[in-house]
Amino acid sequence: MATIKVKGFSVIRDVFGATEVALEVGHPETVKAALNALLHTYGEPLKKVLVDPDTGEMTPFLLVLNGEAISSTLDTDRPVKTGDEMTLIFPIGGGSS
Amino acid sequence: MTNGFKYGGYKGQLLRVNLTKTEITTEPLREDWVRDFVGGAGYSARLLYEEIPAKTDPLGPQNKLFFMTGPVNGTMIPAASRSTACAKSPLTGSFFHSIFGGYWGPELKFAGYDGLIVEGKADKPVYLWIDDGKVEVRDASHLWGKDPFKAQAAIRQEIGDEAIRVAVIGEAGENLVSYAIILLDIRAAGRGGMGAVMGSKNLKAIAVRGTGSVNVPNMLRVYNTTQRLNELVATNPAVKGLSEYGTPRNVLSMNAGGILPTRNWQTEVFAGAEGISGETMKEQVVKGHRACFACSINCTKYSVVPSGRYKSIINGPDYETVYGFGSICGVDDIRAVCKVDEVCDEYGIDLIQASMSVAWAMECYEKGIFTKADTGGLDLSWGNADAMIELTEMIGKRKGLGALLAKGTREAAKIVGKGSERFVISNKGVDWPGHTCRPFPGTAVGYATGPRGGSHHDIRPTLEKSGAVDRKVLEGKGAMASEVNHWLILADSAVVCHLAEPIWGPAKVSENLIEALNAVTGWNLDYDQARKIAERQWNMIRCFAAREGFTRADDTLPIRFMEEPVPEGPMKGTLISKETLEGLKDQYFDYRGWDKKTGNPTKEKLTELGLEFAIKDVC
Repeated sequence: MATIKVKGFSVIRDVFGATEVALEVGHPETVKAALNALLHTYGEPLKKVLVDPDTGEMTPFLLVLNGEAISSTLDTDRPVKTGDEMTLIFPIGGGSS
Repeated sequence: MTNGFKYGGYKGQLLRVNLTKTEITTEPLREDWVRDFVGGAGYSARLLYEEIPAKTDPLGPQNKLFFMTGPVNGTMIPAASRSTACAKSPLTGSFFHSIFGGYWGPELKFAGYDGLIVEGKADKPVYLWIDDGKVEVRDASHLWGKDPFKAQAAIRQEIGDEAIRVAVIGEAGENLVSYAIILLDIRAAGRGGMGAVMGSKNLKAIAVRGTGSVNVPNMLRVYNTTQRLNELVATNPAVKGLSEYGTPRNVLSMNAGGILPTRNWQTEVFAGAEGISGETMKEQVVKGHRACFACSINCTKYSVVPSGRYKSIINGPDYETVYGFGSICGVDDIRAVCKVDEVCDEYGIDLIQASMSVAWAMECYEKGIFTKADTGGLDLSWGNADAMIELTEMIGKRKGLGALLAKGTREAAKIVGKGSERFVISNKGVDWPGHTCRPFPGTAVGYATGPRGGSHHDIRPTLEKSGAVDRKVLEGKGAMASEVNHWLILADSAVVCHLAEPIWGPAKVSENLIEALNAVTGWNLDYDQARKIAERQWNMIRCFAAREGFTRADDTLPIRFMEEPVPEGPMKGTLISKETLEGLKDQYFDYRGWDKKTGNPTKEKLTELGLEFAIKDVC
């Protein structure tokens, strides 16, 4: 079991109720397990923000793990350990012209 | 369909106004061009290729300004309110399509026209009044010099109808600032200097009132398609938060990801991000929401700073404003961003281009290239919001240093020299939006080869930014960029909004986009046919540029992106070297079947796409 810090902004922060929350990640302690733990903890409100209803899969997005930019889909096997900090970078494209 | 036109979604006619002769005519929309190029940017590229000879002066009477809608506009399809303003750009010297939202485009269709071609030059300031089938050229001497909002109000009062839609230029357009905008009610055709083209014709405004409708062949099909698309818009994660926070919803996320451009792109992490975030904006200034025609997203915010030196009322700010006048100038106060947004609208200038000009001047000041003697006494230190606002006003008035910056950073740096060219953040004269490509090679080659240079609407960073495509891999990025080009240009021809990117794209022309087109027109396009239309459109625009003399060498990136790695944050160390970029361009040209030496479409490719008429110009 690892306890990590998770950060999120705008609509993710609205679901968390805070910019930063603590999250317990069970064995195996990986990014994938952390994301699953988040969905389990925050349920439907977080699914509405992160899961594409068309596919039922989590929309790909950028993550920052301890200051390193990684992917929510390509780096799911990365290990996490207690004290790690993971930031969810909201899945968006670009702004208005 | 209406006016006997063969396909649904179209009115079947264009309005043409020659301001030199004060001649007003209508002409049928060409059915063959509609099938080959659809509408919006695609149809405009074909028509302007035909009508604007090579080497035409963008600010001369031979240039033409073409407002064009698409078949989807004016129907109930969501995220589809956009239309295009197209011309040869004074900023790039090639075809440019500037997209705008709001209500003006649908209103033009309700008045009975798919598009409006403005040609020639009036001998005094005029405005157009399009009242369904009745069209007048009216004197605008009393409106010249008025800011866009005052001019809109005056026209509405003069005509006696508060509900008319008005496209208008400000002082910047009148003064031919190369990046002047056209303001259409509250939304803008913001990029490429379309406002300067309008000003060069002595055309202050175009007022429209339409009482007609847009016919479709099968209303039930359009209704069902709309219902399905509305559900997708409402539930797709990537569209979430736009209603609540507007496009600045992403500021803190981008900063945490190390991709928030800061201080003229010297870095991509901004310590003051909280002060300009969507969250702060919502808390401090947002008072309401605004939506475009038939759109459920509501992304535009109505913001008020009630008192103090930043007192202002605006529709915005959008992310690009927050980036440009926030982090890129080192300013961390959302109220100052609101004030400068208001200034830009009052003068009618492109927020991105203006902010990048100010940031470039700030870096000149930091490096000692400019002193207070050059700046008219302004202290252009990073973060000096008051100086930033004052310099922006000087651009609108073409006064002092503002007259230099009104030429655009690329041209200004050519005049100033002293190494300032090294931190011009531009491609083809168009300054960069707030979306990085240093960590994203597919995005980089899309920016470099894009006809509009620094435009995040010729390429999107989304696939590599989200991790849907591995950003660390170079292979396949020419193909990725090409297919993103395709959905974007077809979207700009339909015309639909890129903010609903996951619905219309994001990796290639989507089934949703094809279904929206098929439902309103009655066509039965499959993916291969739709993709081929998009490829034809993209090649048409490339031919326009090639005929003007653009080559592979013009497909480049800012020197900073190729030589200065991101210095800090999660993307530390990333850049796109010149060598990497050239390899990516090879990939891109190979995938497109273009000549790798020149960057031009080949005879074979043009023949395949039915563009044989361009062979003599570009091969």
